[in-house]
Amino acid sequence: MLKQLFASVAFSLSALTLALPAHADYPERSIQAVIPWGPGGATDNVMRSLSPYVEKELGGKLILNNRPGGTAVIGSTYVMQQRPNGYTILLGAENPQLYPVLGVAKFDYSDFYPVNIIGQNVVVIAANADSPWNSMAELLADAKANPDKLRMGSTGAGGLPSTVHAMINAVGEMKVREVTFGGDGPGITALMGKHIDFMPLSLAAAKEMVRTGKLKALAVLASAETPELPGVEPITSALPGIAEYLPWGPFWGAFVHKDTPDDIKQKLTDAYAKAVANPEFQGFLKNYGAQSLNLNGAEAEAFLKRWQSVTTWSMYKAKAIDIAPDSVGIAKP
Amino acid sequence: MSETLSYLLMAWSDPQLLMLTALGTFAGIYIGAIPGLSVTMAVSILVSFTFSWDVNNALALIVGIFIGGVYGGSRSAILLNIPGAPSSVATAFDGYPLALQGEAGRAIGLSTVMSVIGGLIGTLVLASAAPVIGDLALRFAPRDYFLVAAIGLLLVGSLSEGSLAKGIFAAALGAVIGMVGMDPVTAQGRFTMGQAELMGGIHYVVLMIGLFGVAEAFYQLHNLDTPAVRQRVDKIIPSLAMVLKFLPLSIRTSLIGVIVGVLPGVGGDIAALMAYDHAKRTVKNPTQPFGKGAYEGLVAPETANSAAVGGAYVPMLTLGMPGDAVTAVIIGALVIHGLNPGPMLMVENPHIFWFTVGNLALANIFLLVFGLMGIKLFAKLVEMPKAMLIPLILVLCVVGTYSINSSMTEVYWMLGFGLLGYLLKIFGFQMGPIILGAILGPLMDTSYRQAMSSVGDNPLELLNELFTSPLSLLLTSGLLLILLSNTPLFGWLKRKRKAATLHP
Repeated sequence: MLKQLFASVAFSLSALTLALPAHADYPERSIQAVIPWGPGGATDNVMRSLSPYVEKELGGKLILNNRPGGTAVIGSTYVMQQRPNGYTILLGAENPQLYPVLGVAKFDYSDFYPVNIIGQNVVVIAANADSPWNSMAELLADAKANPDKLRMGSTGAGGLPSTVHAMINAVGEMKVREVTFGGDGPGITALMGKHIDFMPLSLAAAKEMVRTGKLKALAVLASAETPELPGVEPITSALPGIAEYLPWGPFWGAFVHKDTPDDIKQKLTDAYAKAVANPEFQGFLKNYGAQSLNLNGAEAEAFLKRWQSVTTWSMYKAKAIDIAPDSVGIAKP
Repeated sequence: MSETLSYLLMAWSDPQLLMLTALGTFAGIYIGAIPGLSVTMAVSILVSFTFSWDVNNALALIVGIFIGGVYGGSRSAILLNIPGAPSSVATAFDGYPLALQGEAGRAIGLSTVMSVIGGLIGTLVLASAAPVIGDLALRFAPRDYFLVAAIGLLLVGSLSEGSLAKGIFAAALGAVIGMVGMDPVTAQGRFTMGQAELMGGIHYVVLMIGLFGVAEAFYQLHNLDTPAVRQRVDKIIPSLAMVLKFLPLSIRTSLIGVIVGVLPGVGGDIAALMAYDHAKRTVKNPTQPFGKGAYEGLVAPETANSAAVGGAYVPMLTLGMPGDAVTAVIIGALVIHGLNPGPMLMVENPHIFWFTVGNLALANIFLLVFGLMGIKLFAKLVEMPKAMLIPLILVLCVVGTYSINSSMTEVYWMLGFGLLGYLLKIFGFQMGPIILGAILGPLMDTSYRQAMSSVGDNPLELLNELFTSPLSLLLTSGLLLILLSNTPLFGWLKRKRKAATLHP
């Protein structure tokens, strides 16, 4: 009885929304922006820096809401479950693209509409400043001479270090002990304390440590030297084969429910495109060691597809995952 | 030198900064007092709110909230037996019995003064020894965190009044609840029963609000008709003689607080419980038995959790690494403001360090003022009719839980834990060990697995490291000593030695 009542109310409400020709006044109230990571993390920092510019472009208020947990599963699921009216935005990172192959959840970003792919991080292979290696080649040689002896910092299955490790193993060989930490922060602390030997890190997390000489950057995960970290060799000089997966990096993006009305999608897309292009935000990204992407529409969708395909297939090749990417609908790169 | 002094006194001399620090401290006390509203949450909202502000103004407000919030948790712990934050769990052990004796006012007065003493000692250590002890955070290997967690779990012994078996059961229950969610290494769900909502785990504050807040409210229904205890509201400010009497203990527990606060991943909550345990072990003649309203049981956790604030700033300011959840958010704030928090922060932006030190000291002074204000009014809260108080507590519990992650699922969990806690209480289980297990279980899990994977899953090598690395050896011996002192064997040895000295 009650259920029927709810259903009919919901139906008439949706009929009402359909009857309205356009959402000219969007946003009429504040928008809930869900950050599926905890406060103080990289995703949180980027989104909190960007949001004031988005608010200015959109002419509305964003209520930033951290819903962390389960490598962003909790926050992303929440946004999927909300009504597709453009009043709930997901401000996330790359993680959902790996959910299907890790068996964490059934969805990925293809179940959302990408409003903007904001930017991506440069990845560095970092070691303690006192470590004996001065290049990636030396690290690889050491790992080969002493298999399963070196300790690599990790953040768990599907995290950045284990993904990069899989990529390296897909084209070469690096047998090491993976020591899992709760995030970049604890990992870097352990690296500085010499409790682990090296760790693939986002430049945003490692920049200050590398700049101040506490950590040594052995290589950047790119096919050429990057302007963000001049003087550090690209990983391809030690591992030419890895070039087929590059460019690669963890990214940040803004997403809404797939069924959001088109004119609202457009409004959000325009607002985010302008906000990301804002010189002040660009300055923040640069200082943070990240690269701006500012992709939307078909470009954003192509980016997401390629990222997922490259990442999952290299992980599968390195036997880091058991679920075959094509069995969950991910085509080969 | 004069530059350092000017940074140090910046917050004291600028009226705007002075006001913001005061405002932050005042607001912090009330945010901290409401279970679920946490300092982390308040600070992360402030980061967005103060985006366009000058960085000093933002930091002044944040420091105020931090100091006020850590202290505020004790208020609801004393008055209602509901800790406002996990770091005040131990405060309720002796604070609430005092309120039941009509001494709520005096308990709040004492806890205020002790928080300020702890806060100032923490600040002093930060100012004088930050680089030295900042290094300590780096020395702790995963195996050392494992040992710290193991030592922490032994606190069950002093937290479980009555039956030790029940205490161990409670701690194990807490540890299992703490394990729920995504496995940190393999990303597989543990105890989630296929529910996506459980992948993120159960926040221990959710557990705490249920076990302490809701369960206490239910329990109070038993004595709905008993008249409330009249509260004595004279002499709420502790005398100098009393403060001096507790000074040696408060210095020891403050140092425990600072050291534990420095370690990333362990914070004021563990510090307060360890300090309580320390007081219980070392104080031979407390004012009343522990758990029945001993002033010492109030002094220890309150000094420790406030001193932990200064400790948490140490790795943040010297290394750019967070000492706890709040300093993680503050690092984010510095990044957003275009500063580069890292090992060079103290060199490139020395003003941030000295400004923070001066500001922490100032916030503690304000805490003394605001904390001692309005105690009479607050003490009356205990005299409020139960029929009004209980619904109010329940509403606060629901609002507080929802505000953690805006999740209704967590509200249901909290209510479930409330019911469970009520039943456990009736059967004589203590709530403290459950929280202890929920906080330490996951720490022990991850650090043990880190330690094991560091040695290539070779238990013999790990065992070897536990006895050969100097820091690990120190912790291992501490662990074994505590363990031994709790067994009948130790008592037997002690008696034998005593007998030997008596009859040579």
